[in-house]
Amino acid sequence: MLYAIIPLVVDGLANAALIFFVAVGLTLVFSVLRILNVAHGSFYSIGAYVAASMGLWLIGSGLNPWLSFPALLLSAALVAALMGPLIERTLVHWTYGRGEAVQILVTFGLFLILEDLQRIVFGVRSIYADTPMALLGVSEIGGIIYLNYQLLLIGLAVLVLIGLRMFIRHTRYGKLISAVVEDREVSEALGINTRRIFMMAFTLGVFLAALGGALATPTTGVAPGLGAETMVLAFAVAAIAGLGQVEGAAVAAVIVGLARVLAIYYVPALDAVAPYLVMLVVLLIWPFGLFGSTQTRRI
Amino acid sequence: MQNTFNRRALARIGLAATAALAMGGAALAQEAPAEFNIGVFTFSSGPAAAYGMPGRQGAELMIDMINESGGIGGVPVRATYVDEAQGAEGVISEYRRLANNPDTQVMIAALSSSNCLALAPVAEQIGMPTISWNCDTHQLFLNEDLQYTFRPNGNTIPEFAAFAAYLMEVKPDARRIAIINPDYAFGHDAGEIVKATLSAIAPDIEVVAELYPSLGSSTFQTEISRLSAARPDAIFSNLWGADLENFVRQAQPRGLFNQSQMILALGETVLESLSLPDGVIVGVLGDGWWNTPTARANEMTVEFTEAYRERFGEYPVFPTMKMANALLFMQQAVEDAIADADGAWPSRDEIAAAMEGRTFESLTGTAVLREDNDALVDQVVGMSAQDDELGFSVMTNMVRYPGEALMPPLGEDPIAWLGTLSAEWLETLPKPGSYE
Repeated sequence: MLYAIIPLVVDGLANAALIFFVAVGLTLVFSVLRILNVAHGSFYSIGAYVAASMGLWLIGSGLNPWLSFPALLLSAALVAALMGPLIERTLVHWTYGRGEAVQILVTFGLFLILEDLQRIVFGVRSIYADTPMALLGVSEIGGIIYLNYQLLLIGLAVLVLIGLRMFIRHTRYGKLISAVVEDREVSEALGINTRRIFMMAFTLGVFLAALGGALATPTTGVAPGLGAETMVLAFAVAAIAGLGQVEGAAVAAVIVGLARVLAIYYVPALDAVAPYLVMLVVLLIWPFGLFGSTQTRRI
Repeated sequence: MQNTFNRRALARIGLAATAALAMGGAALAQEAPAEFNIGVFTFSSGPAAAYGMPGRQGAELMIDMINESGGIGGVPVRATYVDEAQGAEGVISEYRRLANNPDTQVMIAALSSSNCLALAPVAEQIGMPTISWNCDTHQLFLNEDLQYTFRPNGNTIPEFAAFAAYLMEVKPDARRIAIINPDYAFGHDAGEIVKATLSAIAPDIEVVAELYPSLGSSTFQTEISRLSAARPDAIFSNLWGADLENFVRQAQPRGLFNQSQMILALGETVLESLSLPDGVIVGVLGDGWWNTPTARANEMTVEFTEAYRERFGEYPVFPTMKMANALLFMQQAVEDAIADADGAWPSRDEIAAAMEGRTFESLTGTAVLREDNDALVDQVVGMSAQDDELGFSVMTNMVRYPGEALMPPLGEDPIAWLGTLSAEWLETLPKPGSYE
């Protein structure tokens, strides 16, 4: 029995890990900026493209292949530093306080622009940079061979979750973010620079999405369309958790990951719709998500 | 070059002639246009571009070669490329837009089976000769009497039945079969065809896993775990484009290629770009490999292959050859239509009439169009093996199954016909290794 369950759990967690990075960024941005950022998936794919390009450059330059691990992190940081403040200041901040329809239209427009930019810059053919995967080798668990890199991803997702939690609870900036989420007007009255907090939260969201993309590159090719595929799943996770829930996003990612795995193992015909069936059931019972409420202004 | 007119063609020409007479005979003595315009439909973006772009590159090169040798009837060919990634609605809209130009006389459309199915009724409505250069769903001509849609590259029934036959020859004891195909008509049709053929040849076959991941999936890790857990003797897949590349890159390090006999129906497309292990059953969905004995013996194919490699820095793959073959088919038909019209420039109807029933010499073999406009095309299947001279894997232990041996008779239900096959039928086919 255990022999049969272990692969389900490992596959479910490995699935959940990658979705988590994107979903948690999406939900963080929503909780602070009150914006459902449709372009969030593009940051995932841009992170993937930059990481793959950097990885290929490293190997092509004959540098130590183990440098490809820090390069993944560096790629995400680079994307966040360059794109986060720029997009937040030039485009996203115009949508603050406006209706959801305007926000969705603006961020959807941004998504289309970013998708086309990726095609122009990186072309339409898939890019592969799998050095980190090859360096770590494989392990046999429950009679099935897994990439050690898949197991590393699970660990990294847990680390990011703990890190985010500590950042929000125990650092000055985290507490400022919490204050802005709780009440923007009062925060401003107390002298908190909310513009800066918004920019920082948006950039952090971009970083998490780009990190998810960068970490995905060693096991998958990067091609146009990657962002849209991930974004839809991230929305499902965020909706199941309840928008604005960081820990909830982790739990929901595991639920979605397990749902997909169970479908593939036992009802393959439902593979593609399994996450959305779960979302449907959850929203029918808990309209604001598993951890959400009518007052969702908290993280 | 044989060119057979049937009753439908004669009837169509009669109708066209009547219409032309009604218009004062203007269409009967058309002057040659300044350019022969065609629409070329393929995927040039998205995950399917990994498969579609070699097709487009093949079109660019073949059109250049045709134009360098004087064009068609002295008229240069000019192609407008349409990206199929925009979806069926956009593809139909582009098709109609191009067809509005009377100088557009042929469409090379399409790559995707769903787009071909969507375009066929439009082609009939407009009266536009349309060459399905890649889409191969057997449903295209099933119970349909299409007069303007032609498929010189064959269909899914012989394409996938060939792999079942090959597997039973090289692994006669394989009984536990798994399938992983893309989740749309092409994948599901292939699954049905492989199951029907294998069940007919070896009735005790057991399908232990059948997976249809979404087209364009970036990760197959869970599917790979599922396939590993099922312990199949053989795994059949018709994944293609970036999906195929991702699947191979993810499955290989996880030992799937060592555990089971892998069959990659479109595996030839990744022989140069990926490091496939030896012994994978691969094919080209037809006869379109640039390096078969037939292709090597054809001067034009060698010239095309070298020119392609020089221009694009890689060898052509079978979508390239299918596209080039489709354009050659068009060229030969239009030239015959010009000859049939005593040198006058032919109308769309006359071009369509010239396409019917052709025996067509392609870059990679000979194809014969049946009455339903679907072609009998040979099927080449082989096994991957590293070629030290080329530096990548090639197909070895090849067999070339005659097209007619794998094609159901006209009017017969294809899946029901597959059910009538048997181990004795297998004995009538040429053997792996017989085509080297």
